[in-house]
Amino acid sequence: MKKILSVVLLSIIALVTYAQELRVEGTVIDKATGESLPGVNVFIEGTQVGTVTNMDGYYTIDVSSGDVTLVYSFIGMTIQKEPVNNRSRIDVALVPESEQLDDVIVVAYGTTTKEAYTGAAEVVNNEIIEDRPVTSFEKALQGTTAGLQVSSSSGQPGSTASVRIRGIGSLSASSSPLYVVDGVPMAGSLSDLNPNDIESLTVLKDAAAASLYGSRAANGVIMVTTKKGKAGKTSISFNSQVGISSRVGDGYDLMNSSEIYEQTWMGLYNWGLLYGENEDGSSFTIADAQNHAHAKVRETVGFNPFGVDNPLDENGKVIPGSKVVTNTDWRDEVYKAGIIQNHNLNVAGGTENTKVYFSLGYFSDSGTTIGSDFTRYTAKLNVQHKVNDWIDAGMSNHLSYSETNAPPGGGEGANPVRSAEIINSASPVYNADGTYNWDNKAAFDFNPVGLFDYDEYKYETKRGMLNAYLNFRLLPSLTFRTTGGIDYSGDKGLNYYNPYHGNGRGVNGRSTMASTENMNWNISNIFTWKKQTGDSSIEVIAGQEATGNEYQVLQASVTDFSVPGKPDLVWGGTPEMPVSYSVGWTMVSYLSQAKFNIKGKYNLSASVRTDGSSRFGENNKYGLFYSVGGGWHLTKEEWMPELSWLNYAKLRASYGTSGNSSIGNYESFGLYGSGANYSGYPGLSPVQLENQDIRWEKNAALNIGMEATVFNRLDASIEWYTRQSEDLLFDKPLSAGKGFPSIKTNLATMKNSGFEATLNYTAIKNNNFTYDIGGNISMYSNEIVDMTTEQIKSGTKIVEEGASLYQFFMREWAGVNPDNGMPMWYTNVSSDDSSNGAEPESAYADPLGSGRQVTSDYEDAERVRLGLAIPDVFGGISNNFSYKNIDFSFYFYYSIGGKVYNSDYQTNMHDGTDPGYNLAVDAANAWTPNNRYTDVPRYVVNGRDNGDQMSSRFLEDASYVRLKNISIGYNLPQTICEKIRVQGLRVFASGENIWTWSKFKGFDPEGALNGTTANSIPGTKVFTFGVKMDL
Amino acid sequence: MKTIKTYINTLLLLVVALGWSCTDEFLNEEPTTALPSNEVFESITTADAALVGAYDALSSYSFEGLYWPIMSDLMGEDVMLVPGADNWGWFVEAYQLELLPGYQWTESPWWTAYKVIYDANQLVAYAKDIPGASEEQKKEIEGQGKAIRAYVMLKLVQLYAPAYSAEPDALSIINITEPVEANSEDLPRATTREVYAQIEADLLSAVSLLKNNEEDDRSEDRYDEGFFDKRSANALLARLYLDMEEWEKARDHAKAAHEGVGLMDLAEWVNYGFALRTSETLFTVAYTLSDNNTYLTIPSFYYPVAGYSSIRLNDQFVDMFSASDARKDYVIIQDDEIDTERHFTLKFMHNQQVGNAERIAIRTTEMYLIEAECEAELGNTSEAQDVLWEVQKRVFSRPSKTTASGQALIDEILLERRKELFGEGFRLNDIKRRSLPLVREGNHWADADFTYGDDSYYRLTFPVPQSEIDANPMINEEHQNEGY
Repeated sequence: MKKILSVVLLSIIALVTYAQELRVEGTVIDKATGESLPGVNVFIEGTQVGTVTNMDGYYTIDVSSGDVTLVYSFIGMTIQKEPVNNRSRIDVALVPESEQLDDVIVVAYGTTTKEAYTGAAEVVNNEIIEDRPVTSFEKALQGTTAGLQVSSSSGQPGSTASVRIRGIGSLSASSSPLYVVDGVPMAGSLSDLNPNDIESLTVLKDAAAASLYGSRAANGVIMVTTKKGKAGKTSISFNSQVGISSRVGDGYDLMNSSEIYEQTWMGLYNWGLLYGENEDGSSFTIADAQNHAHAKVRETVGFNPFGVDNPLDENGKVIPGSKVVTNTDWRDEVYKAGIIQNHNLNVAGGTENTKVYFSLGYFSDSGTTIGSDFTRYTAKLNVQHKVNDWIDAGMSNHLSYSETNAPPGGGEGANPVRSAEIINSASPVYNADGTYNWDNKAAFDFNPVGLFDYDEYKYETKRGMLNAYLNFRLLPSLTFRTTGGIDYSGDKGLNYYNPYHGNGRGVNGRSTMASTENMNWNISNIFTWKKQTGDSSIEVIAGQEATGNEYQVLQASVTDFSVPGKPDLVWGGTPEMPVSYSVGWTMVSYLSQAKFNIKGKYNLSASVRTDGSSRFGENNKYGLFYSVGGGWHLTKEEWMPELSWLNYAKLRASYGTSGNSSIGNYESFGLYGSGANYSGYPGLSPVQLENQDIRWEKNAALNIGMEATVFNRLDASIEWYTRQSEDLLFDKPLSAGKGFPSIKTNLATMKNSGFEATLNYTAIKNNNFTYDIGGNISMYSNEIVDMTTEQIKSGTKIVEEGASLYQFFMREWAGVNPDNGMPMWYTNVSSDDSSNGAEPESAYADPLGSGRQVTSDYEDAERVRLGLAIPDVFGGISNNFSYKNIDFSFYFYYSIGGKVYNSDYQTNMHDGTDPGYNLAVDAANAWTPNNRYTDVPRYVVNGRDNGDQMSSRFLEDASYVRLKNISIGYNLPQTICEKIRVQGLRVFASGENIWTWSKFKGFDPEGALNGTTANSIPGTKVFTFGVKMDL
Repeated sequence: MKTIKTYINTLLLLVVALGWSCTDEFLNEEPTTALPSNEVFESITTADAALVGAYDALSSYSFEGLYWPIMSDLMGEDVMLVPGADNWGWFVEAYQLELLPGYQWTESPWWTAYKVIYDANQLVAYAKDIPGASEEQKKEIEGQGKAIRAYVMLKLVQLYAPAYSAEPDALSIINITEPVEANSEDLPRATTREVYAQIEADLLSAVSLLKNNEEDDRSEDRYDEGFFDKRSANALLARLYLDMEEWEKARDHAKAAHEGVGLMDLAEWVNYGFALRTSETLFTVAYTLSDNNTYLTIPSFYYPVAGYSSIRLNDQFVDMFSASDARKDYVIIQDDEIDTERHFTLKFMHNQQVGNAERIAIRTTEMYLIEAECEAELGNTSEAQDVLWEVQKRVFSRPSKTTASGQALIDEILLERRKELFGEGFRLNDIKRRSLPLVREGNHWADADFTYGDDSYYRLTFPVPQSEIDANPMINEEHQNEGY
């Protein structure tokens, strides 16, 4: 009662003072630089009354009372409140917001401060991600964070990149990190999220940081925090960006039609000399071989690209003056300039009790390859509401719809990228009458331009990520938070093959429609207890989590189409076997973590989690994971002398375990699969061997790190780690006698050890000009420590103890024998590829003088280890300048070392084994008696020299340095903004991937992590221009 | 404060309750599209579905559907691939006799065949104990399981080992006849003799377990020529003994296979002999309109339009047919619109759709030819001439019954085999089992000229696949076939 009385009295006094007018003046400066800040909003709390500082940061404002509070706000600065207290001059120094952001970081099941954190984590804020012409945020992370390897293997719009945190965690289970969006693990594609909705990302790298996610944490965790509303004036921001994309590199040159015609003639001629026989059994003479070549060249190439019937002279060279009628650059036909559009509208605002963030986004990329494009619409609504003084509620909702057109990849006939490389330039796109030409000698009946016109490969995704939470402050020290999340995606896919050409011809057209639904749910209930005593504190969390997933497929196809261009199933005459099935998994977990802060000097943390998963066999359903970590602030110790140059120093160490449950859902069962139908009867067939002993992959990681700030300008962080993954699942190859080529087995132990460092240096910081330079460097070694099988040789690789997972293993190319043009490989008899220790009969001393034994018989050369696909070192270097209202930044990504096996180039250097396939211009350097010293073997149509077989001839250095992003922006001065009645206006231009240094012969040295190429759509470089307006 | 406590208690209860419900039952997820293996032989319905599944595995293009039959002819003298790249590189190295252990032509048939053998091993091992099945049903599953296994093994040994007649003790294939676990000891290459003994035992057992298709009510159990019966098991025995040069046994089983069936007439031969089931079909891979391998089929490669259409006939082979031969008249064609130089064949047709054709794997004509060859070898000249004439007169191969005898008769029978069975996958084994030379003449674009005993003869035997050598500790490079 007394209390109420005093409140009433106070308000009466307030009423009395209200009448008194007071003028307040002052200047506002940037605390970091000491510069005055123009354009700062100054207003009276709880009203719309306010003003703006002038060019000198000076303001005056009339207030109705000396008791009101003034609010100072400026973009990029923390809002500051000053009670007037009857002062007439109030000078304010605003603190840059980013400094605060750095301080609080989002971590597993909560937040912490950078200072108190015992784990290795790095925060990437939205400045890096926003306004980049990328479909998904992970692509913008390349080079930004030490220890994070990001690699895009395809330039298909909407495709996502491979992300690896601190090396490769698994052999055959997933090595991708877990993504957690606003506290809920997500299930679907990253490309459904609008990068502009992201406030910050936290990359959790070590066990202390990630282990709380247990069986899903082995490959690290990336926490995604989306934007939230803020109390205060509602801000409306519109951002529009348009760009042009093109193929990132030009690649090696391909032959034009004259060159391929001459080369083919030579290949036929060489065949004649080597193998040609007349009917009477006598060998071809030179004249016979010439006649043979003249007779066959048109048929072998498929077309005579010249205007005359006999364009070649007797030596197979184009007779000068022969008119070239056809010279198709199939790359020009398949690749085009892409247009990227990115438009976003954000609205953020709210009161102290209710905060709302709302956004709409549109992104489209028309693609650089015919038939490939991506369009995405997104909507986001985040609401947080204070229900009463002890309950908070909130939701984070994300909806998206996307449409993708994606032609087939890899070795498929309908892959336009492959067609562009292999169809020779003598083959026209169109016939003389304007219809498509379907004849060519490489991808017969698969004209990529025609198929683009007639076929459809279209995919639609509807995604909803809905998370809701209730937070109860049960006691001042105890909170309980319950979170429920649903991540749903519904996909529809259409593959339509036209009835006339390509894949659909044999069945008179085929249309396949697939509908898939992926539903992931998650519930977590977490208690958090915090207690502060003096300068020490303790925090304990404990809780439970349950997750489940169901994936359903319904698919049907129909053949026999009569009406062209109508892909719906009703247009087809003959239905095929429809398919439906569903798969699912469930997981239940209990978790707890304790964090101690002792006098601000020592931080300790410990966590434990147990997971039970339906994916594992009876014998191994549950897994237990734990971590411990500690941090020690050296600079806070009394005994530490106060050094003027050392501002901050902290040592960290952590150890912990986690697991990898990212394997198939039913790996432990022995199974007979349905669908093995025969003669019209349904049948069952064994599809999987039983494996009840299949266990969790376990990961144990040790991290030691140091953070320091010196001279107030240089922030450094250095980390060393080693993580050992045990019980790695691997498809152990089996003898055919076992019925299956392999079985998933907990086979191996692998270790990733590495070192990473991040440096940020503020080089210049004064009134008008700042310059920051930063860099990071990562290196890791990947080693298989233990394997139950001695060696696994497969494709281009060998997997064995003591070596990296991605170690190349193939025959070693020794060049071309100058005497006869035959390919040579080193015999390498000392290799353990074969137990045979003697030189083969076909061996001879290397005529090129290496002193080693070589052979021209491919089978007689033994395979040897030839280096790794993993780079020795990679990272990024960034430079940021700002001068008055202009900012300019660029950063490089580098990846040095590592090899790539260029099977695309191999296809274009076939030495005649695929006559009619296009050739790289390099192939013209083939051996001839007049060109004896070359690296390209003799060219023989349908030759049998095997020079084009897998060998180090096609193994290349994958090192590259790339100007990943360069951007320049201009913020319109506040005074002008006011005149045109906007809060802020920014124009900017940026370039993505615009310059690359590399010796790699293909389009793009960035590719699959395992270092092989696969006729994928090459990466893109993009120039964009954009405008951002704040209302 | 009291209310808060109640809340806490309620929530704690909730958490405990959630925890309670999250027991093992929650963590049990079973697949919807597959049956656990241990349930398959618990009923005749599912066991019978597993038998159907084994035939489905056999029908794969990488073994029975396409790979071995087409390569068996391409590695001989009579057919070739069209030069150039119109067939996307399919089988080129097989035609060139340049197989390597890592090629898919070498790898795929091996792996596919062993998957079929794995399936068959389960049928043979568990058929006897199917609860609720009748004796007849158990016999059918076991007998067909053995016939499938024998069929696949015989083809494998013919491809991956030198001929029995030439090197019976050479290393051949893995002789696996029981269901094994993934971590059981691997098996080495058995000798050809051991493998032939195993096949013989399987087939003799199959003959005793199975009935002929027309017997009793077998056909009501939906078993027809798409499934092995006693007759087709006999036919396989005839093939086996022919390889082993046990002429009497081969003859007797050939007779047992064709007796009561006879030969189809010429109309059937030329009109749908090799797309549809005919009166002389003993075993066929029963593809259907909705269940076939489309482009990866024999007709897709052989028929001159609509598929890969890349098989051509050697001109010298074409010349071997007499002018009156109906086969030459009807199915051997040269047409400038398709190929200005080379002949092709209409023998293997499509039925309504590319690839929709049965693959007639065993027919009585072959049995007649085996019988003729055996009689000739046994010195029963007139019997041999009579049986050969049955085959020859249907197609007007020659104007009158042959009068040849001795080696000339045998040669004529072998030539008739070439002309009658081309494209059906017999040529490679016929060359090998008779140790014949391989001489390619005429318009071949990959030459071959070697006789038995030459170094190059190894080219007629497939190498053991690289993947098998890499995965099987009992088979190393030193166990690889000679020449590779």
